[in-house]
Amino acid sequence: MIAVLVAMFVNMVVTNDAFQWSFMADHMFTPPVMEGVRTTLVLTVYSMLIGVGFGIVLAIMRLSPNPIISSVAWVYTWFFRAVPRLVLAILFGNLGILYARLEIGLPFDDQILGLFGGGGNAVIWGVDANDFLRGFTAGLLALALSEAAYMAEIVRAGIQSVDAGQTEAAQAIGMSRGQTMRRVVLPQAMRVIVPPTGNETIAMLKDTSVVAFVPVSNEMFFQLRAVGTRTFQVFPMLVAACLWYVALTSVLMVGQYFLEKRFSRGVASTARARARMIGGSH
Amino acid sequence: MVLAEGVRKSFGHTEVLKGIDLRVDPREVLVLLGPSGSGKSTFLRCINHLEHIDGGRLSVDGELVGYRQHGGKLYELREKDIARKRAEIGMVFQRFNLFPNMTAISNVTAGPVHVKGVRREVAEKRAMELLDRVGLADRASAYPSALSGGQQQRVAIARALAMDPKLMLFDEPTSALDPELVGEVLDVMKGLARDGMTMVVVTHEMGFAREVGDRVVFMDDGVVVEEGAPAEVFGNPRHERTKAFLSKIL
Repeated sequence: MIAVLVAMFVNMVVTNDAFQWSFMADHMFTPPVMEGVRTTLVLTVYSMLIGVGFGIVLAIMRLSPNPIISSVAWVYTWFFRAVPRLVLAILFGNLGILYARLEIGLPFDDQILGLFGGGGNAVIWGVDANDFLRGFTAGLLALALSEAAYMAEIVRAGIQSVDAGQTEAAQAIGMSRGQTMRRVVLPQAMRVIVPPTGNETIAMLKDTSVVAFVPVSNEMFFQLRAVGTRTFQVFPMLVAACLWYVALTSVLMVGQYFLEKRFSRGVASTARARARMIGGSH
Repeated sequence: MVLAEGVRKSFGHTEVLKGIDLRVDPREVLVLLGPSGSGKSTFLRCINHLEHIDGGRLSVDGELVGYRQHGGKLYELREKDIARKRAEIGMVFQRFNLFPNMTAISNVTAGPVHVKGVRREVAEKRAMELLDRVGLADRASAYPSALSGGQQQRVAIARALAMDPKLMLFDEPTSALDPELVGEVLDVMKGLARDGMTMVVVTHEMGFAREVGDRVVFMDDGVVVEEGAPAEVFGNPRHERTKAFLSKIL
């Protein structure tokens, strides 16, 4: 039954001329597309690095006994999980409309200095918003900030999965709260954190396609679509995009397998990770 | 070594310690007995400030634990100072609480290396001596999951000793062990007592209390009911509650 369906699918793929396989193969590896692949990978890596780092900070803030710190983290997570990445990407791409310049300084400096009759302001650092939020940076920010919100929840679940006795044992030998977190709790939480983070990385690789709408013009999906519309061969280039994402995702899954193995040291076996890798049941 | 004066502790509306007065002398082995819920474990955890106390005073080696006094009022210390004080007090838990992501020897060196800043080679040499002392030198590179309960608890004792504590606290150290593994842990503890370590032990091992304890304290319902030499408390309990408890467990 399955074999018949597969055969029908293959037949359709091979005989339908609209697939334009040779055209696709010719345009799938052109320099602009390869540049796009590179950008996609760089965006994935950077946004995940920022997302994981910031996510850990947010998770620790969320678990803080201080209600102000904890609610700041909650509000952040709430907002960035509520807004779709596509909307965020376009929003960040258009922040230049709101501010001509981005500056870091003292709040209300114009107003306060105005009261004293003087002019000037208290800007410490500034940059032209359109330069700064041009394409890549805007896309990266949108993806990384949204990722941090998801990672915060994953890290929090990981931290909470570690037995409270571990914290007590670490404190009993004189470790501070920071040391306890870094040396004892987080390494154990990693076992719970890594698998969903692998998922997040794969999701991120695919979500980099939304920055085509910032727009980030040297991104892979943007390039493939551009080739498609320019040559009126839309469908083959969409298939090319699928193939690229499948290939890159497969590479990431292998990486995830080794990471999981690394962080399950001292705990049972790696059989579970292997089962997940080859798609076995567990 | 330990001086408790009117120590009180509540969880919500339940008062679990209702004014504990207790004194532990240097080199003394004090055994805390009592039915579950009597507050003995909670009191032990107050000694190294794993639990805040809500009233009274508790000092170890002449220094208040977790608090400083200023004009007759107590203020909680900064985290760093609490940690420094805790490093002087070893604790062994009922469920071992070894770090599962570290080998036996790394469990033992974690404190000296990360808290005291001892060089790793030095810490490892000392850790091997300690593992040898608890009879586990050959399992130094094993992860806790590969050790039996008794072995894990002995590593946990070595981990506590690695900080050169002035005082050791044992919170039902053999309660989570299979009966045939209890002996090996108690033997290590007896050795410690012989070497003059000051120890406070919460346990249900009456044989150990009788043989090793210098003094036995019986607690019930958040108060100290009776205390004295083991022979005295076991042989001739004065209080009804002590008699009732001992008749159930002896």
